Amino acid sequence: MSEVVIEARKLSKTFKRDEFEVRALDNCDIEIKRGEFVALMGPSGSGKSTLMHLIAAMDRATSGRIAVLGEDLSQFDDAELARWRNRHIGFIFQQFNLIPVLTALENVELPLKLTSLNGKERIAQAETALRLVGLGDRMTHFPRQLSGGQEQRVAIARAIATDPDILIADEPTGNLDAQSASDVMVMLQKLNQDFGKTIIMVTHDRHAAEYATVIRHLEKGELKPEVEYPKKPV
Amino acid sequence: MDPREKALGQFISLIWKNATRNRRRSLLTVASIAASFCLLGVLLAIYVALFISRDESPAGSRRLVTRNRISLTQVMPISYEAKIRQVPGVEAIMAYQWFGGVYKEPKNFFARFACEPAQLFQIYPDYRVAEDEKRAFIADRAGALLGRDLAAKYQLKVGDKITLKGDIFPVDLEFNIRGLFDADKNEDVMWFNIDYLWKSLPADRRDFAGTYLMLTQSAEDSPAVAQQIDSLFRNAQVRTKTESESAFAASFVSFLGNVKLYLFAISAAITFTILLVCGNTIAMSVRERVREVGIMKTLGFTNGEVMGMILGEATVISLLGGFFGCVIAYLLCKAVSGASGGFANLEGMTLAPWMWVTVMTAAVVMGTLAAIWPAWGASRTSIIEAMRYSG
Repeated sequence: MSEVVIEARKLSKTFKRDEFEVRALDNCDIEIKRGEFVALMGPSGSGKSTLMHLIAAMDRATSGRIAVLGEDLSQFDDAELARWRNRHIGFIFQQFNLIPVLTALENVELPLKLTSLNGKERIAQAETALRLVGLGDRMTHFPRQLSGGQEQRVAIARAIATDPDILIADEPTGNLDAQSASDVMVMLQKLNQDFGKTIIMVTHDRHAAEYATVIRHLEKGELKPEVEYPKKPV
Repeated sequence: MDPREKALGQFISLIWKNATRNRRRSLLTVASIAASFCLLGVLLAIYVALFISRDESPAGSRRLVTRNRISLTQVMPISYEAKIRQVPGVEAIMAYQWFGGVYKEPKNFFARFACEPAQLFQIYPDYRVAEDEKRAFIADRAGALLGRDLAAKYQLKVGDKITLKGDIFPVDLEFNIRGLFDADKNEDVMWFNIDYLWKSLPADRRDFAGTYLMLTQSAEDSPAVAQQIDSLFRNAQVRTKTESESAFAASFVSFLGNVKLYLFAISAAITFTILLVCGNTIAMSVRERVREVGIMKTLGFTNGEVMGMILGEATVISLLGGFFGCVIAYLLCKAVSGASGGFANLEGMTLAPWMWVTVMTAAVVMGTLAAIWPAWGASRTSIIEAMRYSG
């Protein structure tokens, strides 16, 4: 039986907007096993991003309990959470979010600088990550010198550089053309199936979600029962 | 060591790249900091030259100046010279008078002093003059002795005649240049015989001295000798004030008003301006990168590390500004020193190594202080808030 890496019980998140309270996530229960590729879908405001933020320790729940990789994240202070994110989570964003003044290689090396690796080891690991995403020949390019698809691949290389347990992808194909989107999804699928990475992806894109092994829908902050969809072949 | 503890050192290249990412703004900020700290450096050098530096040469520390206690513009009777000579510890003394005057045009400013030539070389043993020139200067009542650099500046040579048009004194005097001297410092001086001045003045204005210059037997004696001289004339009609040559030179500055207060006020204004300039620049720079702060936090950067990097940027910019400010200040000091004509110790004005360190340290402290608020704000921004920011 696969190990459960994310376990949330009665997880709720309420935001205050002026005098109004908005319940973004309502008593959500979820279990994600190691090696699963979960697509979180739902309309805007359904709570999928909020759930993703809580899983990635980017925000704290109003009530309920969430354990990620067996750790109760509510017990961590900000600095401990930062260290934990560096070791266990890789992020891929819709807007790529590369640092514009750094080359592709430097962007990928950035999270490695927070580890105990020395300079040579960091460079070697960053180069490996870039080769893995097919950008071995673009290492010294700055983000502005790359296409959108290439920028997203650098972002994937940065996300996997520290060899995290979980990859969090927030609309990873949202800013890409169809071909680049397909390339990125194949890459994520490969990371999931060949390297056993647990992936949690927030998306509106039905085609992108088909690459996932599990698709979960949220509506008005509530998580709907799991639905089986036909999967895209690798 | 926790790898995170050494992280900041590893981010120097990122700090540098962030500090210079908007080159025009960084350049203008560095330039404004450089201008401010240049001014601060020059003010520091002026302060030290005017109020702190002393002539530490063996003869310099033995030279004393006696003047009228009321004011530099008031004179003393010539009879004081003989009385002062009797004071134990006084090795040599001469009457010494600022002449002023104009050489061709008012812009040709240099120090012109009437003195007693025979005593001059006793009191300034560091003056290097050819023996025949020295003798000719002592023998000729209308003779003049010029610093070699000063003579070169006005293309004058031994044997030339030079006329000074009186302004303080109602006489125009013509001099024969009898010699040129070299000295370790303050060569922009013209010396001539005080007898020549006295004889040129109406009878009622003769036989006075604006100041007396003395050489004591030892530097240790100097304070006691100064005290004894002033005690000697405590009950006289004209009381005296005796001080070291450096302190005397600095007293010229008092004509300009409360210079210390001016210097402090200007320095405070500069410091405050720098604080605003740095703070504004860093705040702008941080505002443009709120989203990047969020990205860095998702990669594992702590609040402290984010803050450290922003403070690092401010330090880099202010350090550069401070350095260039020091370079310009150094050059300005050199120019002022060359053009001072020996006025009020400004000849020795320079940006000493400790002043470089002081100015650059001040630059770093001010830059860092100015960045604390924006850096704190950025580091405390939550990831979600930062990632939502569209700039």
